[in-house]
Amino acid sequence: MRKTYLIIAGLLASLAVTAAPAPEMIVVCYPGGPVNTRDAQSAMGSMLRVVERVGQWPENRFDSLFTSKIDECRKQIAEKKPKFAITSLGLYLELRNPHNLLPVVRPRIKGRTSERYRVVVQKDKYKSLDELKGKNLGGTVLAEQSFIGKIVFAGKVDPAGFFVLQPSNQAIRALRALDKGELDAVILNEQQYAGLSSLHLQTPLEVVFTSEEIPLMGVVANSTTTTEEERARFGKALEQMCTDSEGQKLCDLFGVESFNVVDAAVFEPMVKLWDEGS
Amino acid sequence: MLVLAGCAGLQSDRVRFDGLSGCPGQTAAMLAARQSQYGPLSDTHTLECALTVLRDSQDPALRRTSLGSRLSLHLAEREANPDRREKLAAEGVSLAEAALAQGADDDAAVHYYLAANLGLAVREHITLAMDNLERLEGAMKRALALNPDIDHGGPLRLLGALYLKAPAWPSGIGDLDKALELLEKAVNKHPAHPLNHLFYAQALWHEGDEAGLSRAKAEFTQGEKLLAEGNWGYSKESWKKEFAEFRQDLENGL
Repeated sequence: MRKTYLIIAGLLASLAVTAAPAPEMIVVCYPGGPVNTRDAQSAMGSMLRVVERVGQWPENRFDSLFTSKIDECRKQIAEKKPKFAITSLGLYLELRNPHNLLPVVRPRIKGRTSERYRVVVQKDKYKSLDELKGKNLGGTVLAEQSFIGKIVFAGKVDPAGFFVLQPSNQAIRALRALDKGELDAVILNEQQYAGLSSLHLQTPLEVVFTSEEIPLMGVVANSTTTTEEERARFGKALEQMCTDSEGQKLCDLFGVESFNVVDAAVFEPMVKLWDEGS
Repeated sequence: MLVLAGCAGLQSDRVRFDGLSGCPGQTAAMLAARQSQYGPLSDTHTLECALTVLRDSQDPALRRTSLGSRLSLHLAEREANPDRREKLAAEGVSLAEAALAQGADDDAAVHYYLAANLGLAVREHITLAMDNLERLEGAMKRALALNPDIDHGGPLRLLGALYLKAPAWPSGIGDLDKALELLEKAVNKHPAHPLNHLFYAQALWHEGDEAGLSRAKAEFTQGEKLLAEGNWGYSKESWKKEFAEFRQDLENGL
């Protein structure tokens, strides 16, 4: 009998050693993005393999679940309860309390860790934001209307009540519609605004509204299901990613110079604005 | 880990056709004369024999044609092993480059097969694909300008698919409007090719609305029917997989 116990114990022990743990799911949310989910999953997979290597985790320790749909993101974070997630600032502000989210790293893009949003119109057509009341406003960032109202417009404009919103998942399409006069205005994030010079639009554009500086958001962690050590280890691996030879190519692909560990206090002014707008 | 080398970061070593025997005695001139006979209906042994002759040939007239690149593509498309597939596609790129060096710049097929092979060689490597986006676009545009109708609207289909799958502005050259325009043209001018309908269906699906979804389903159904009923030879199996992948997207809705 003792021999049988030993054999079973031996078998169980060997199972415990060889059975790989289920991958830790990372939910990746990109609201309003035009990204093909399958291609995005592939890019995220490449990124996670680098993170695993520089962070000295076994390969496939992490897996990702990508979505560009905001409702799907809320659902996946609620259902999967991921330890880590990549979210927009708007989703972080919305979900930080119910899911105990803490910022871990934020990206640095073209030397900056914050951005401004702008509303652009055809030159000389409108002189101010006030003149756009009741007019058509397009843009990809309109996928997050609460964020636009509470943070970008700092609670001073309710987008749905002020404009006729025309959300789009293609920034270039919204700008072409503006060029043809089919839209009155388009709201752009920093990256889109910086890319305007590469477009060959017929009509010159001008800015009628510029937001305050808004911090960029990157990776967040669930503070109740992760330890401080886990968060620090994950953050450090992400910081090292863009200095790794393979990782650097992926950072270039995402347009990110580096990821930097961030203190939640950086986002406090945004949290205040968000809560005041509730 | 793949060893990627060469000017485009592609694999540079060739696939060896082990145990290749029974090849007909062919000269470069015979191969050139028969080049239109090699295609998706040719069996793998025939294509391997032809490519072997071409590899050993220094005949400038033969090397100036798109034949070598086309043979590589047909072999790569039916190859199940990813490493061998990428090597064959990379060889197709190299043979097209050799044709261009021999003065084939006005041959649409050379640019077309260069782009098709390059796309196949890099598609599983995201950073390599990004490095080659401009080159892919350039080769496809050149083929389109020279002859949009080769391979049932191949240049329209490939460039449309590139604009559909590449990262969108401002990050990349991806452009849904351009993709829709090119792929609609491919479907209208060459309605018999299943992939024209599949890629147009994918572009319509990316519109992200109910009308687009409904039209995407109709195009998908038409393409699937053409694939099932047509004699597409060895291309059929790999195309079936592409249809099956997109069927999942359609079933998952918007």
